[in-house]
Amino acid sequence: MSPEPAGQMGRGSLAGMDTPPQVDPAEQFGVVVARRLGFGFWIAAAWIIIIVAAAALAPWLPIADPNETGVGGRMDGPGWSNWFGTDNNGRDMFARTIWGARVSLIVGFFSVLLGICVGGTLGMIAGYFRGIVDRIISFSVFVLLAYPGLVLALLIVGLAGQTLPIVAMTLGIVAIAPIARLSRATTLAYSEREFVAAARVLGATDRRIMVRELLPNVLIPMGALTLLGMAITIVAEGGLAFLGLSVEEGFSWGKMIVLGSSPRTLREGPWVAMFPIGAMFVTVLALNFAGDRLREYFDVRELGIGAA
Amino acid sequence: MIVLARRLAQLVAVVLAVTFLAFTAMNTLGDPLFNVVGFVAAVDCDAVEAGEIEDISGQGGTTLGDCAVVAEAREEFHLNEPLPIRYGRWVGDLIRGDFGTSFKNRMPVSTVLADRLPKSLLLMGMAEVFAVALSVPWAIAAAYRANRAMDRASTIGAFGMLALPNFALGVILFYFFVVKWQIFPSRFEDDNLALRLKSLVLPALTLGMPLAATYFRLLRTDLITTLQEDFVVMAKAKGLSNRWIMFRHALRPSLFSMVTVFGLNTAALIGGALIVEQVFSIPGLGRALVEASIRDDYPVVLGATVVIATGFVIINFAVDLAYSYLDPRVRRES
Amino acid sequence: MATPLLSVTDLQVGFATERGLLRAVDGVSFDLAEGQTLGIVGESGSGKSVTAKTLMNLLPSYARVEGSVMFDGRDVRAMAAERERHFWGVEMTMVFQDPMTSLNPVKKVGEQIAESLRVHLKRSRREARDDAGDLLQQVGVPESKKRLTQYPHELSGGLRQRVVIAMALACSPRLLIADEPTTALDVTVQKHILDLLDELREERGMAMILITHDLGVVKGRADQIMVMYAGRTMEQADTATLFSEMRHPYTEALLETIPRVDMASHSRLVPIPGSPPDAVDLGQGCPFAERCRYCSASCLIDQPSLEQHRQGHACACHAPVGTDAGAAAHAANHETGVTPAGLDMGTFATAVGEKT
Repeated sequence: MSPEPAGQMGRGSLAGMDTPPQVDPAEQFGVVVARRLGFGFWIAAAWIIIIVAAAALAPWLPIADPNETGVGGRMDGPGWSNWFGTDNNGRDMFARTIWGARVSLIVGFFSVLLGICVGGTLGMIAGYFRGIVDRIISFSVFVLLAYPGLVLALLIVGLAGQTLPIVAMTLGIVAIAPIARLSRATTLAYSEREFVAAARVLGATDRRIMVRELLPNVLIPMGALTLLGMAITIVAEGGLAFLGLSVEEGFSWGKMIVLGSSPRTLREGPWVAMFPIGAMFVTVLALNFAGDRLREYFDVRELGIGAA
Repeated sequence: MIVLARRLAQLVAVVLAVTFLAFTAMNTLGDPLFNVVGFVAAVDCDAVEAGEIEDISGQGGTTLGDCAVVAEAREEFHLNEPLPIRYGRWVGDLIRGDFGTSFKNRMPVSTVLADRLPKSLLLMGMAEVFAVALSVPWAIAAAYRANRAMDRASTIGAFGMLALPNFALGVILFYFFVVKWQIFPSRFEDDNLALRLKSLVLPALTLGMPLAATYFRLLRTDLITTLQEDFVVMAKAKGLSNRWIMFRHALRPSLFSMVTVFGLNTAALIGGALIVEQVFSIPGLGRALVEASIRDDYPVVLGATVVIATGFVIINFAVDLAYSYLDPRVRRES
Repeated sequence: MATPLLSVTDLQVGFATERGLLRAVDGVSFDLAEGQTLGIVGESGSGKSVTAKTLMNLLPSYARVEGSVMFDGRDVRAMAAERERHFWGVEMTMVFQDPMTSLNPVKKVGEQIAESLRVHLKRSRREARDDAGDLLQQVGVPESKKRLTQYPHELSGGLRQRVVIAMALACSPRLLIADEPTTALDVTVQKHILDLLDELREERGMAMILITHDLGVVKGRADQIMVMYAGRTMEQADTATLFSEMRHPYTEALLETIPRVDMASHSRLVPIPGSPPDAVDLGQGCPFAERCRYCSASCLIDQPSLEQHRQGHACACHAPVGTDAGAAAHAANHETGVTPAGLDMGTFATAVGEKT
């Protein structure tokens, strides 16, 4: 039988009919599709590791002092002596980009951590105990959610001050509501399952069930969410910095971007803004991608069989 | 009908809770007194009154007479009363349309809001229009050619677009279209509607493009899923054309996710508007909020926050209603 | 005989999958005259649905088709390639197994019936609506006016299937293909639907292809029957002959799976042991060999071709039932207790009678 298109019927079929061949078309049992993390995942992960390492080791790396002016000329373009050029105070952009990573990454990480610890716990409690406890928590979460993230962050930082811990905590608080919602939904789904009923019948206390049975299962989607969450908080911190509401001491990518984006600076030296933009973009992209892949990977394992 | 009434009651409850949260945060985390009278607030005026302190000239350039100002301020802004009562007062004022007075320039907050809000609404409206106008045709085209070159490239493009923070996108667009090519004005021009719209094109695009990317991903996925449903096979068996099937069978059921996100996205939209207004110097509500926040001008912050949060809750409510209209199955149950 | 309405010759349909070419239909031929009913019988994976989909131009783009399909002298495959718009849904229509999923859940039932009328016959909205109401009456749906404005989830399973049938009949097709039309329905409803199809067919002089896994369904309702297995035709004959003189072991086995009223209570049902073969990797011999109690050595290496036993009765088997070869093979297997394919003859024992 010839495999040539000449013998085709069904040309001009709608996209949806063209399921890729892994889905078995001929009424037989499905084919198990092995899910791998994929090449892209490892590239993304590599970038994340590089940037984190660079940020962590920044004080010891053989790069210029990010605060020292006059390292190069004023507003020098990218070149051999200054890889990323210099800004309008003659500071080395490459070093600044690396040092800027520190604030961005620290804020990103700790805020997500706070969000998961508090939000995750709240959600689990709400989802597990239900009833009045759930109603109270859910209502509170809903009210918190009524504040657009940035507005809430603005509110808190504006009131409480602009230090690194506060900024990190603020973003963490903003993260609580959406994470709590997800955690609650996951917990609800899992607590319906038999293994919870089984544990209860065996006399396990509520606390034990929550920690030993539910927590591991809830942690899986949340773990995958960490990377995605970090991407979001890094961007959020960038936004805050852009508005002038992030840390006053030191600088993050967001702050660098706002410093570099006055019309004059853009005209004379767009790289001052573009490099931190690029760094942030690539990092967020990597986090998004890796987070997505992880989520898919664990989702499928959960279900057991792939596509069909 | 009963359901509607219940929902409205919920709405009111949420709005009250929302405003109470903001009010409490403002008044406990910050010190309203400070912003009315400046450094004088640091003076221990109670001690002065009790005659315990004579000379306060060394404390930040204040004078004894300033304590009178403090007392006056306390009276005027009811700062001595307990929190719940102040909240009650405030809500009462709010209902009557009185949002308080700006600490800084003594203008009524409602004036400020009324001036700034329309511009922000216009901006957000344009952004959504762009987003929908971009994403729907794009998603239909991509679903039609699912998994082929155009679709794959689109998915990657959308993914990339979502990774770019909106301030970054704004700066990039600003750089190219305002600084380099000088197509659009560099600040907001208010003279007539046309100019206003023109000034808002870039900011609306900045806000709208990431939205479009999100809508695109949702709609495309849902379309592809819907197109695999049996009733589409049935429609094909009836000899209906691909175009007919796409627009009259597949599109409507696939819009659900997008519509849901439409409402939820308002939060992102508002947050994004804050930033975009900054980049493009639009005198909108977001900018007012940010400036007031930096200046610790609490009535303005509170007023703006309340408007924003309430608006958000109402929009979500409306989306819920729209949802039940779109999907007859849900309509039945509600 | 006058030119048959539908003439399928050596149809072969394969799907290009990761693991190789999946032969869903491998050399199927049949003719169907105007107003006649053909019953296609087989298990899941036998290729019966794919055959129907091929006729209806519903195959995905990675399907490879060969062979000819002629409808009333027109080349159906050519029409598919040319994207002919007003053939399917008009002259040839199809009814699927699950009426719930065949209907668009967010569209009113009346609209869905009227669609074909508006697109193919260019009726106006009102005309189409009235015609839809008539159609609903014809298929036995009470309160047809009211039903027109209802949504699929508001109707019961039987009513939904009637709606689907009404949809299929809208443009007065000359051939209706029904793929397992009753499998998703309650037993009591099944009979009604099948009777309805019979009635409509007679009234309209419509030809029908009835696809099912249940020989009992086609017994009183089809003029000719084709038994398929693993994409191939195993036996093909007119109904009376098939039931009185069945020759293929698979047909015999199928018949035995039907529980009968006159069986003693608590007698065991007789399933066909084993499961359908992997359509990608079929191997050389007869595809049914591994499950057949008449299996002989040649069955494992030599694929039997479809041979005309007499006028109008074809069978693809080396050792057909009721022949000497068949009897011999069966006896030999019975002796050794195991078929050449390794199947234990004991699995064919039933509690009633000694039919091994």
